Amino acid sequence: MTTTRPLLAIACILSVQNLALTRLHGSDSVQFNRDVLPILSENCFACHGFDESAREAGLRLDTLVGATGEADSGAHAVVPGRPDESELIRRIEPSTGGEMMPPPDSGKSLTLSQMETLRRWIADGAKYEKHWSLEPPVKVAPPTIAGVEHPIDCFVQDQLRSNGLSPTAAADSATLVRRLSLDLIGLPPTPEQLDSYAKAEKLNLERAYLELVDHLLESPHYGERWGRWWLDQARYADSNGYSIDGPRQIWRYRDWVIDALNQDMPFDQFTIEQLAGDLLPNATQSQKVATGFHRNTQINQEGGIDPEQFRIDSVFDRVATTGTVWLGLTIGCAQCHDHKFDPISQQEFYRLFAFFNNQDEPTLKVYEPGVKVPELVAELKAAEKALDDFIQSKMHAYEAWEAALTDDEKSKLPAGARKSLAIETSKRNANQMRELFAIEVGKIDSEYQSLQQRLEQLDSEVNGVVTTMVLQERHTPRKTTVFIKGDFTRPAEEVTPGTPSVLHSFSSTSDSPDRLDLAYWITSDNNPLTARVMVNRVWQMYFGRGLVETENDFGSLGTRPTHPELLDWLAIEFRDGGWSLKDLHRRIVTSHTYRQSSTERDELRVADPHNYLLGRQQRIRLDAELIRDVSLAASGLLARKFGGPPVYPPIPDGVMGQGQVKRDWRISKGDDRYRRGIYTFVYRATPPPSLNVFDAPDGFSTCTRRSRSNTPLQALTLLNDSAFFEFSQALASVVQDEGLNFAFELCTSRKPRADELEVLRSLDPHSAARVMLNLDETITRE
Amino acid sequence: MDAKNVALQQQTRRHFFSRCGVGLGSIALADLLGMQASSGESSAMRNPLAPKPTHFPPRAKNIIFLFMAGGPSQLDMFEHKPKLTELSGKPIPESYIAGKRFAFMDSSHRSELLGSKRSFAQYGENGTWVSDLLPHTAAIIDELTIVKTCKTDLFNHAPAKLFMNAGSGQFGRPSFGSWVTYGLGSECEDLPGFVVLQSGPRGPRGGGVLWSSGMLPTTYQGVPLRNQGDPILNLSTPANVTATDQRRVIDAVRELNLKRLAETGDEEIATRINAYEMAYRMQTSAPELMQTASESAETLKMYGIRDASESSFARNCLLARRLVERGVRFIQLYHTNWDHHGGPTENLETHLPQVCADIDQPASALVMDLKQRGLLEDTIVIWGGEFGRTPMGELRESTGRNHHIDAFTMWFAGGGFRPGEIYGETDELGFGPVNNPVHVRDIHATLLHQLGLDHTRLNVRFQGLDMRLTGVDEAHVLTSILA
Repeated sequence: MTTTRPLLAIACILSVQNLALTRLHGSDSVQFNRDVLPILSENCFACHGFDESAREAGLRLDTLVGATGEADSGAHAVVPGRPDESELIRRIEPSTGGEMMPPPDSGKSLTLSQMETLRRWIADGAKYEKHWSLEPPVKVAPPTIAGVEHPIDCFVQDQLRSNGLSPTAAADSATLVRRLSLDLIGLPPTPEQLDSYAKAEKLNLERAYLELVDHLLESPHYGERWGRWWLDQARYADSNGYSIDGPRQIWRYRDWVIDALNQDMPFDQFTIEQLAGDLLPNATQSQKVATGFHRNTQINQEGGIDPEQFRIDSVFDRVATTGTVWLGLTIGCAQCHDHKFDPISQQEFYRLFAFFNNQDEPTLKVYEPGVKVPELVAELKAAEKALDDFIQSKMHAYEAWEAALTDDEKSKLPAGARKSLAIETSKRNANQMRELFAIEVGKIDSEYQSLQQRLEQLDSEVNGVVTTMVLQERHTPRKTTVFIKGDFTRPAEEVTPGTPSVLHSFSSTSDSPDRLDLAYWITSDNNPLTARVMVNRVWQMYFGRGLVETENDFGSLGTRPTHPELLDWLAIEFRDGGWSLKDLHRRIVTSHTYRQSSTERDELRVADPHNYLLGRQQRIRLDAELIRDVSLAASGLLARKFGGPPVYPPIPDGVMGQGQVKRDWRISKGDDRYRRGIYTFVYRATPPPSLNVFDAPDGFSTCTRRSRSNTPLQALTLLNDSAFFEFSQALASVVQDEGLNFAFELCTSRKPRADELEVLRSLDPHSAARVMLNLDETITRE
Repeated sequence: MDAKNVALQQQTRRHFFSRCGVGLGSIALADLLGMQASSGESSAMRNPLAPKPTHFPPRAKNIIFLFMAGGPSQLDMFEHKPKLTELSGKPIPESYIAGKRFAFMDSSHRSELLGSKRSFAQYGENGTWVSDLLPHTAAIIDELTIVKTCKTDLFNHAPAKLFMNAGSGQFGRPSFGSWVTYGLGSECEDLPGFVVLQSGPRGPRGGGVLWSSGMLPTTYQGVPLRNQGDPILNLSTPANVTATDQRRVIDAVRELNLKRLAETGDEEIATRINAYEMAYRMQTSAPELMQTASESAETLKMYGIRDASESSFARNCLLARRLVERGVRFIQLYHTNWDHHGGPTENLETHLPQVCADIDQPASALVMDLKQRGLLEDTIVIWGGEFGRTPMGELRESTGRNHHIDAFTMWFAGGGFRPGEIYGETDELGFGPVNNPVHVRDIHATLLHQLGLDHTRLNVRFQGLDMRLTGVDEAHVLTSILA
């Protein structure tokens, strides 16, 4: 019913790329995906594509068989190797006469170079290719450009050149240091760091820069900054969601992410532990904690629900999230029907579903490193036995006490003890005996006291610890079926675990493949998608947009990469270099492309207003948490404390009463009042307003790119919110003690100019501090 | 550059701005900067909330949705069912419930038919049945379009509320008000385009997700006007800061931001300057909006407001009118609690009459007040909940009814709906429609249609799909209830 509409949408998006790419690749050999497909999809597929109901003249051009077969007219649109015998060429070239295609009334027309491209493609044999992202990445040597060494710059500048454009000069040092610092650790540089960089730079600019990059990548704040990037994708939050939205404890998973990134855990390992850490041989506690990734689904605590319905909903979410995060495919589309645009069948969706349908969802007690849990549990057992043996040895004394109890005395005992007393002595369990014994007989026995204390201490060491939510495979698999239209009350045929046939082959050593097999399949070198998807998602953090703009859709409805060869080069370096994210960051931020100034240039404004060709850097408004972090850092209040339970900084009154259940929000004391935004407790249904208003994700589904709105409510937050007001008071003291210049530098990492200083000097110190925390520049990475 | 390439670039530009919700502010700002806005179209697309052209001429401009959170019992308010009364206490005929799923249908609750204890009478030109719980509504019945065969897909509160608001039970989709401000922009320069008001003993189940903008930028998110403290979060200038100082701060921020704009050429800075100006105007206009005491005694009496400073559904109805007067596009009132299961504080005998009394007079007054001020023509008033209640009784501590999704009643007024119309009939027990079923999607399609929007064309790309309010299943504009 709606198939023509999305088609138009594809045409629209492809045409954007088309503009750049056809101009860029005029000279070398014609490639189907890069050169031909955009022309066909924009101009031909609406009537000659995969939608059978819209197809005309018995011709489809989206497959080789269709294009070379006999159309209704008897003609063959494409005769490989023979453009002059191909009806397609006859119809598109005006000189050859015949009925013109595309029809003039369609409003579409081909340029001469597009006609030439199609002619050359047919002459070369009319080779079709799989959708670009399903082909393995190919490593192409970077183009050679005199004086340009960094491979990223070679790819980018080559493309700029073919468009008659040049790169922008590097940003000034202060801007660069601030940019690097915000990008790598999410905090602004201190004035001291700026000064020492300025000195180092005079000795050796390049070395100073590289050392700064290394220094920042080694900072433990790096894990906080990039941890948040991953937590967006993991849909992390601290509550159960839906309407009741009770709090949950899963921050150990958040800390696991931060630690793993700080240690630069290879991304393949990072993937395996999160998807299937519990299934690794001799899984460690840390590997089990990692499986919290897929526990960040919602839990419905509403009355009258069918729990199975919501368990299945969370499995749906796990399949869709895995598809989006690691494969960049909209696999979730196949939940109710075969995917309309990508070759993923509904049955294949449920084969993926089967991997995630076979676990229990327990909480795990988390012990500090070094704690030997089995020994501890054994000690606990021994202590229990010692206590019980002791009680047995004193049974005479006890029985005498019990026998002497009057009814009045009994009635004054705690309810639990009264209940135990009512049970026949021989039928009481150990706990009941301990309770009764402790009332009087044990109370006066020092040996009993020490045994009891020992037991209590061990019990709290074993059982009184932090918990976190994890996955745990079941011994007997659940049966998985297709659900008709995704409705769990309508099961259809049974399916076994498996992966989409359009992707690389799946193998398992066992008869019943599990999540671990799936994780190995995802991190396989044969996977054409994951490395590309991840480098692209890192790239978009640095330039405001990925090389593939649709960072969550590498399928046929997504956009094509603006720099396909660069994307592949980065992906292969990432994968073959041991999946090191820190190396990937270093590779990108050391390029000139990254170091360019973000200032608009007239030349680019006209030729490439949206900077697809990367002729400059991009100003990017900071993420919600970083706006808090920068203000905290600038005002000197920031508590540099890592990890631990989420905290409750001040929020406006009444916010927590907006959900169905009013939630408690006791403002944290001491350092915890001034922690980085990543540590703020997030209720999904009533998120902290100052994070929400700056587009922090809601944690309801995976977020692979934040929107970046710019609204009056943001202005009200920075102007009037009590937390930001408190920051401004602290900054006002800095203004008074150290002067405006210094305070301005804390906010923007540069000294104010005379005219700027004049504006600030006209204000009292506190107003000036408020102004500085409200500047666009303060909340922007330039 | 040839014409096609220019067109492509514009397309790209539009695509970019609509996706990213970024861009330059209004023409006023261009004046401020001494810049020339290049064309009407470009300035419109630069401000994400600037009024946008409709798909076809609209019949209405504003919507006020009176959301009865919890699920009102249509069988005790609008659905007169003598047969149900006759069979009260009898088991449900199997033919009515075969294959259906209900919430809370475990064995602990009896589920026999329950006739209404209310008395019904006929009102207005069409002889519309209304129970004694709604005397004020009965009195204006000829202004209303009553739909008795509304149908939804989900029977738990939060998902069903989301479904009524966002066309999907899944969290993370834009709510109706967000779609409308995304599609039409806002005509109000000093208040948000989508405003939420709440009354009743607690917040609605689902909370902020009910007015979330989902995958649309937060620009389009509903802004709750609060009854206590600041009407909008962080609206007040901090204590100890004078109005003069606040203005001086905002002026200085603007001046320094303008300098940065000149240096970097980044239009985002211009948008931010505009946002600060609107924030400043909101600091004045929102408190002014809340000054309901300035209304005449007659008006206050009409709504049944005794104390103009006290928060209530009645005061929120009056605020809704004041918001419409100020050009606010979409106003949603939530009133709890309609979840009458028969628990200690939620029964049909005592609590339903109370909540009906809360809303009956104010809702009717709102319709008539809008009418007498000439605002009803452009404004659609909607009354209804996330679902209705079952013909079976629930006997817990007292008497109640269960959630029912197959047929429930909503009413519409103004904005081109046909006054006095009764649409759809249910069977003699009120289980399901015997004709003209109206799905939530049909309601959404119809409301968008009245606003000049084609529900199949109002969409946004997300994770590879064109998302829209009415989803992928069929939705129909209910032309027969439109004037």
